[in-house]
Amino acid sequence: MVKINEYIESGVLEAYVLGSASEQETKELLYLKAKHPQISEALKDLETDIEYIAQKMAVTPPPGTWLKIESNINEIIKARESDALTIDMPYQDRPRESSRTRKSSQFVEIEAESGHMRIRKIWRWIFAGVFLLGKIFLACAIYFYIENRHNEKEIELLKTEIKNITANGR
Amino acid sequence: MLKTDRQVLLESKPESIRSLYDKYAGTLLGYIFEIVKDSKLAEECLVHIFCELSAAFGAENARGPQNWSQLQRFARGRLEAFPGVSGKISAGVLAHNSYDQHLSALSQEQKKVFLDIYYHGKGLAKLAAELNKTEEFIRKTLKEAFAILRKSGEN
Repeated sequence: MVKINEYIESGVLEAYVLGSASEQETKELLYLKAKHPQISEALKDLETDIEYIAQKMAVTPPPGTWLKIESNINEIIKARESDALTIDMPYQDRPRESSRTRKSSQFVEIEAESGHMRIRKIWRWIFAGVFLLGKIFLACAIYFYIENRHNEKEIELLKTEIKNITANGR
Repeated sequence: MLKTDRQVLLESKPESIRSLYDKYAGTLLGYIFEIVKDSKLAEECLVHIFCELSAAFGAENARGPQNWSQLQRFARGRLEAFPGVSGKISAGVLAHNSYDQHLSALSQEQKKVFLDIYYHGKGLAKLAAELNKTEEFIRKTLKEAFAILRKSGEN
């Protein structure tokens, strides 16, 4: 009995309550606590004391704090649930996926927000050909347009000359 | 058989943590605030600790912290890993104004021992070496501090 009182008075219990007891001290304390109700009682008293001291310095949490915690916890649970369902289920028990979904899950999407378009290489040459032909047609059209205007002017000039000659001949 | 994270999480639904929050959120926020001295950071830590609690509940078949002492030890462990807080704990950056009125009955030595252990999580051996005293002396001082605080609380 004397030894138990000495143990209680040693300050080990206080150190344990504040979390600074060594591993060895903690083991010993938990063993003795289970064996001696006085130690268990003393420990309970100290826990009540420290709780009382801590409550004196309590600060009321801002409203909405619990909602933040709740939503975070729910997110963690959802994420873990979906991960576990995919990993835990045997292959034959997994729901059938469409080929599209399966295919998309085989690739890692990189730069999904990019405005670039990926095309086959053959189309690059086709587009280049079409572009070149377009340029040739445009050049031809401009050439023939200028040529046509030039000819029209010459015809106009010849017509005027003919008219003049005819007028002079009369 | 060891439980998977999912099982542990499902067993510790937000409802089961709610009672712990109702009982100790203010106390825990006050404790964290004394360490970080920043209301916003203290609230972030509080949210983080309760989320961590939800993940750890039921681990090793335990039901999680049942009283303030257990919750405070759990919280201190998590705070040490929280960005921006760990340095403050280990460096012992504590402004001694807010709790001075509550600990005014303690001597300087008793106050230092109590605060270094309670807020900084210093071990007895480390503190004894720092103060150039024996571990037994630190234990005794801590015990005295507790006795005085209990007495002042009764008064």
